[in-house]
Amino acid sequence: MPTVTEELRVTPAKTYEGPLLRVKDLVKRFPITSGIVFQRTVGYIHAVEGVSFELDTGETLGLVGESGCGKSTTGRCILQLYKPTSGSVVFEGQELTELKRSELQSVRREMQIVFQDPYASLNPRMTVGTIVGEPLAIHSIGKRRERKGRVRELLDIVGLNPNFTNRYPHEFSGGQRQRIGLARALALNPKLIICDEPVSALDVSIQAQMLNLLDRLQQEFNLAYLFIAHDLSVVKHISNRVAVMYLGKIVEIAPSEELYQNPVHPYTFGLLAAIPIPDPVLEKKRVHKVLEGDVPSPDHPPTGCVFHTRCFRAQPICTQQMPPMEDHGHGHSAACYFPLDHESRALS
Amino acid sequence: MSHLLEINNLRTHFFTREGVVHAVDGISYTVDRGKTLGIVGESGCGKSVGAMTIMKLIPMPPGRIVEGEILFEGKDLTKASERQLQSIRGNDIAMIFQDPMTSLNPVLRIGYQLTEGMRIHLGMSKQEAQERAVELMDAVGIPAGRNRLDDYPHQFSGGMRQRVMIAMALSCDPKLLIADEPTTALDVTIQAQIIDLLEQLQDQFGMAMLLITHDLGVVAGVSDDIVVMYAGKIVEHTDTDELFGNPQHPYTEALLGSIPRLDDTRRRELANIPGLPPDLVNPPSGCRFHPRCRYATQICVDKEPPLAPYDGGPGHLVACWHYRDSREK
Repeated sequence: MPTVTEELRVTPAKTYEGPLLRVKDLVKRFPITSGIVFQRTVGYIHAVEGVSFELDTGETLGLVGESGCGKSTTGRCILQLYKPTSGSVVFEGQELTELKRSELQSVRREMQIVFQDPYASLNPRMTVGTIVGEPLAIHSIGKRRERKGRVRELLDIVGLNPNFTNRYPHEFSGGQRQRIGLARALALNPKLIICDEPVSALDVSIQAQMLNLLDRLQQEFNLAYLFIAHDLSVVKHISNRVAVMYLGKIVEIAPSEELYQNPVHPYTFGLLAAIPIPDPVLEKKRVHKVLEGDVPSPDHPPTGCVFHTRCFRAQPICTQQMPPMEDHGHGHSAACYFPLDHESRALS
Repeated sequence: MSHLLEINNLRTHFFTREGVVHAVDGISYTVDRGKTLGIVGESGCGKSVGAMTIMKLIPMPPGRIVEGEILFEGKDLTKASERQLQSIRGNDIAMIFQDPMTSLNPVLRIGYQLTEGMRIHLGMSKQEAQERAVELMDAVGIPAGRNRLDDYPHQFSGGMRQRVMIAMALSCDPKLLIADEPTTALDVTIQAQIIDLLEQLQDQFGMAMLLITHDLGVVAGVSDDIVVMYAGKIVEHTDTDELFGNPQHPYTEALLGSIPRLDDTRRRELANIPGLPPDLVNPPSGCRFHPRCRYATQICVDKEPPLAPYDGGPGHLVACWHYRDSREK
């Protein structure tokens, strides 16, 4: 194996004082346009509406919600792949929303992303070696030879044969491609990896391999993950804390075990109830259908609390005012006027 | 009375340029009236091909039923003519598919698509069929059905489209409903609504159901019996409580251990099934799971284990030389 320079070697990320990432009042609206020649804006999709959270070094924050709740948009706004409409994204003390393109490039060394679809996120005309080595080439790190060595090392880290560098993505299965995507994300020793539904396209046995791998890499390199997924059991498994999103807003955030044991927001409660557990004895006792109806369209979100149209505890005030985030202790907060407690959960 | 559906040693192969794909390779099971059989397995294990073969919905060629019988109410469907099959499809046996976005025709109105089957199979007039369509839409929980007959599929959400599919499947009062991953494309809260609906309608219409899914959580709540498939073969077949409480095949065990569960109290490492599912053009010799199995020995490489009753319980079938109880002895 060729020697690898010190700069290229994978080293655990240095610990940073204070939260690694601080997102405050993040808003992203996509314009809806009409007309072919003269386009005018006729409305907005309210994808993300005032999302705030913090993420520490080495921590995993899970972001869950149903399709269209804005969880992926939040992830992309953090990386500045979408320009946020308003709000702030502070990474290691640096405000990202004000940075120029060229300034962003150096910050992106520290934050990477793994996408959902392992078939669409790798260029079919590039070899695995080129794909994994591309971040190194873009940031002009090391010489060609050194980069090759680093690519082999990265493939080994994610559990692929280092001799696969000359193969093309189509020669790999979905799970292996997802490992290639992960190797690419790790190439620059990032501190934060945004995992956007990294396992939802995979079979359960392959999903388990991937989750175990993500766990191991986090411990080895002290990585922070923003883990975006719709599957609450997967998110609960991998995350230290979980934020639940509904129609562009975080409605509840808590340590994972606490969220599962004591959900206070009716939406979280309904979401947890809907998930089937692979245990027939438990399943027979559970009531799944707590939530009726569909998620409303994000171009005309409901007034007041966005969840009131499907909520079984809604009162007139919920239709008028958005409830603020309230602290429920143990790092647990939720935005609801009529939070659930032990008794009301038993009744529902 | 005999079983509603009886599959005997069914083999469906695909004859491709790369070789013969042994997609379904000798499976047998039965479904009784009013009961639900869950078929679980990972992608490419043959669970869908097996179900599609029942209705002969696989492209032939390259697909071919090489061997076996499909007895529906005692009649062998493998020998049935296309005409006979057409009177069964959508009438006695109905099917719902995974993707509600692509399984409805986007250029035809919902009302037309819903009534088509009833007019063909039951000889209803347009008027009668429309009345019944409105009733069905009500039964599957589509509000204001009468006003929606003239809508197109794109005007419905994913969950609502799946409800339309279910209404369509139920329109001719089928004896057997084949549901191929009916909730996989849906969000969990919608999934819960659809599963609840399927169970309720099953009670109401008394049909049998063949539920094909990769989600062990979904089958746990719905199925009476479960078949676990791996690489075109059945590896374990028993009733639901027994399968989850007393899994005997190493693949079933590992599959159950590899799912993160909501009720896990602490973070555990997920069970690892190393490697990948095999290539079905050249499946492994002997037991097809042996290259990934931690208990495999020489016999597993040499000889295929039969799917046989395991000593513990009646009707618990396992295809393994080293099933759990034999290892613990």
